[in-house]
Amino acid sequence: MIDTPTLELVDVTKIYKGGKRAVDGVTLRCGAGLLGLLGPNGAGKSTLMRICATVTRPTGGRVLFDGTDVVSRPGALRGVLGYLPQDFGVYPHLTAREFLSYLAALKGLAARPARARVDELLELVNLTEAVRTPLGKYSGGMLRRVGIAQALLADPRVLIVDEPTAGLDPEERVRFRALLGDLAEDRVVLLSTHIVSDIESVASDVAVVAGGRLLRRGTPEALLSEVDGQVWETVAGPSEAAALRERHPASRVIRTADGIRLRLLSDTPPATGAVRVPPDLEDLYLAVVGGGVREAAR
Amino acid sequence: MTARVTAPVMVRVTVRVTVRVTVRATVALAVADFRERVRRPAYAMILLAAVGLARLAVPPADSRWVILDVGGYRGVYTSAWVGTATALAGALWLTTGGFYLIRDAIGRDERTRVGQLVAATPLRTSAYLLGKFLSDFLVLASMAGVLAVTAPVMQLARGESGVVDPVALLLPFAAITLPPLALTAAAAVLFETVPLLRGGVGNVVWFVVSLVLLIGGQSRSAPLGGLGVHQAADSMRAALAARGVDVHGREFSLGLTSVTRSLRTFQWDGFSVTGAFLGGRLVVFLLAVVLALLPCLWFARFDPARRLSGPAVAPYEPDVATEDRRPAFRTTLPSTPRVAPRPGRALRRLLSGELRILLQGVSRWWWLVAAGVTAAAFATPEPATMLPFAWIWPVLIWSRLGTQRVEYGVEGLLGAYPAPRRGLLAEWAAGVVLTAVTGVGPLVRMAVATDWPGVRSWAGGTLLVPALALVLGVACRTHRVFQVVYLGLWYLAVNGTAAVDYMGAVRSEGLPAGPSPLVVAVLAAALVCAALAVRTARHAVR
Repeated sequence: MIDTPTLELVDVTKIYKGGKRAVDGVTLRCGAGLLGLLGPNGAGKSTLMRICATVTRPTGGRVLFDGTDVVSRPGALRGVLGYLPQDFGVYPHLTAREFLSYLAALKGLAARPARARVDELLELVNLTEAVRTPLGKYSGGMLRRVGIAQALLADPRVLIVDEPTAGLDPEERVRFRALLGDLAEDRVVLLSTHIVSDIESVASDVAVVAGGRLLRRGTPEALLSEVDGQVWETVAGPSEAAALRERHPASRVIRTADGIRLRLLSDTPPATGAVRVPPDLEDLYLAVVGGGVREAAR
Repeated sequence: MTARVTAPVMVRVTVRVTVRVTVRATVALAVADFRERVRRPAYAMILLAAVGLARLAVPPADSRWVILDVGGYRGVYTSAWVGTATALAGALWLTTGGFYLIRDAIGRDERTRVGQLVAATPLRTSAYLLGKFLSDFLVLASMAGVLAVTAPVMQLARGESGVVDPVALLLPFAAITLPPLALTAAAAVLFETVPLLRGGVGNVVWFVVSLVLLIGGQSRSAPLGGLGVHQAADSMRAALAARGVDVHGREFSLGLTSVTRSLRTFQWDGFSVTGAFLGGRLVVFLLAVVLALLPCLWFARFDPARRLSGPAVAPYEPDVATEDRRPAFRTTLPSTPRVAPRPGRALRRLLSGELRILLQGVSRWWWLVAAGVTAAAFATPEPATMLPFAWIWPVLIWSRLGTQRVEYGVEGLLGAYPAPRRGLLAEWAAGVVLTAVTGVGPLVRMAVATDWPGVRSWAGGTLLVPALALVLGVACRTHRVFQVVYLGLWYLAVNGTAAVDYMGAVRSEGLPAGPSPLVVAVLAAALVCAALAVRTARHAVR
């Protein structure tokens, strides 16, 4: 039986030159399963991902993998880590197989299994047809698939993927999310994104980050209970809709033939005829990041 | 009463407005580009280097290393002498070395994609090129400015004359240093717009061109007064002759040279600037502007479709039928992977991977020339004759060592990979293999001729060259530094400077006269360790 891996962040802080506090005292514990890290652009998600992946060194705090401090001993994690950064480059004249074989050698994998693993992964990400094509000719989505393949090279126990669906078309995104869900069965999977639907469809555990701080952590159901009863839908004319948006955070605004359909966050009915609707993660995200949740509700 | 504006007046006004807008845009572009450069930490280092250069131009009285030697004499360190010597040294070194510091103004716009934004504005191509030229020139001129500011400090520090004459100090900078710097700035713009000269080939070509310009520019028959040395040199000779020194046959030497004994001094009060001399300098400036604007004829304004050469790799055109048939991902992995990766020996594969990366994109022509040089090594009378040629040809490939991770943005990915030291050693080993392969012809010849000292020197060089490339690549993250340093080393070695002969090319009584191969090998190991230290330190502050 395989031991369940754990990755733990204890009061992790990262201050960049010039004093910018990108990560501010984050404490997190992740076991097997998929933790979705949600936050706006510039929230510090990527820095947090890089710290978890041992690429960036935190200014303060500890990162523990199965109890070992990987800030001082990154090797303990790197051997079992799969990491897909938000932006990455490739050697443009190498083919996908050559590039993955090189990375497998860097990982220190034995020759024969590495070769077979590369073939398996190329098949998984459906690049077998383009396997003789230099990477410089690949489209953005194909390169992203190469990145996903390299993250899975060593059958990682910890998988860290930062904005992995950028550049993928809608079908690829759906399939990749399903793949992540399968992988999360016995691995630590950290998925960072600002696309709420990516998290909604696959994460059993959600953390919301903004301004470098961990604002919320919990199951989607537990988090949604925070805004339960505070989400309303109504249809209004243009001037009324503008006034409503001034007063209440709007998670959706759709122009219809009847007027403007608004989805609003409010403790009380925002307008006559407004209908209370069940909240979703987008509402929660807006409430937490946009400050729409009352302190009393926390 | 209504004022009626006639058509010619309107045209005049429109032209005036257009010119004003263009001038403003050019200046704005030059200033923005200049600001972008001077705010980088490297700029402070560049200025610091300029201070060092100014110090070198005015050596202590008992120094055996001199910049300006008039047949065993130098001027008393007055403002005139210090200004002229520093200005000449600036013209010499900033022309050769400055080019490598300023080039990349257009390349950076392409990389950062600012170029695409600029291309979509009404800015004329000529204004863009002129702006880049001005920015390049400003960077070089700021270095000359540092030289000019340091010069009086050095004059007072040497203490031979306490009278500072600002005109005598600064005039040589305006008349001698700035015109060749304008040419250098124009060449940087020109090289960046010619696909073949944009990369490493351009760096090598400029090394040769600048040497030709600087050596040829000192000739009396050089057009437009060449470097402008003669006005000063003739005046110095005249001052010596007036002192009763026989100037016949006394050489005027410019450049860092070693002398057997300290130079004697004479009083020199500067050279007079004639109208013709100044006119010649002005023409050099105008020539530089024309040179910088020449690429208007072909510059594609960052339009990939109008590039003179195609991209390194053409975009992928998927087989639509194939793409439709299969999903981008298999939605499930087997619960137990079919292939369980396990650790094992990977050094050989790592080396082959690094070799592949090092040699990626190298054309068949490159290999053909390398093969030709190897074949020629078997046809020369002396076994090691072709070694310098064999070991200059891969300079652009060596310069990739230590830089490609950054260049292709792979560093972010590899930062999370284990055993970074192993990767660096493999990278160096790949460089060693390339060096050995390109130098195999002379090696075989030397082995057949039982020239074992030569073989040992060859082995030392094989270890040293990639180590030097690796450490400079890792530390500076650019190809250019190694290209310039190595070309300089190679030039010195080929011209008989035994102290830096890393390949055994300089012979004394048939034996290599350079440093011991053991010393070279130890130096190579130290450089690899330094590269390792730099990468580790950089990772520690990640």
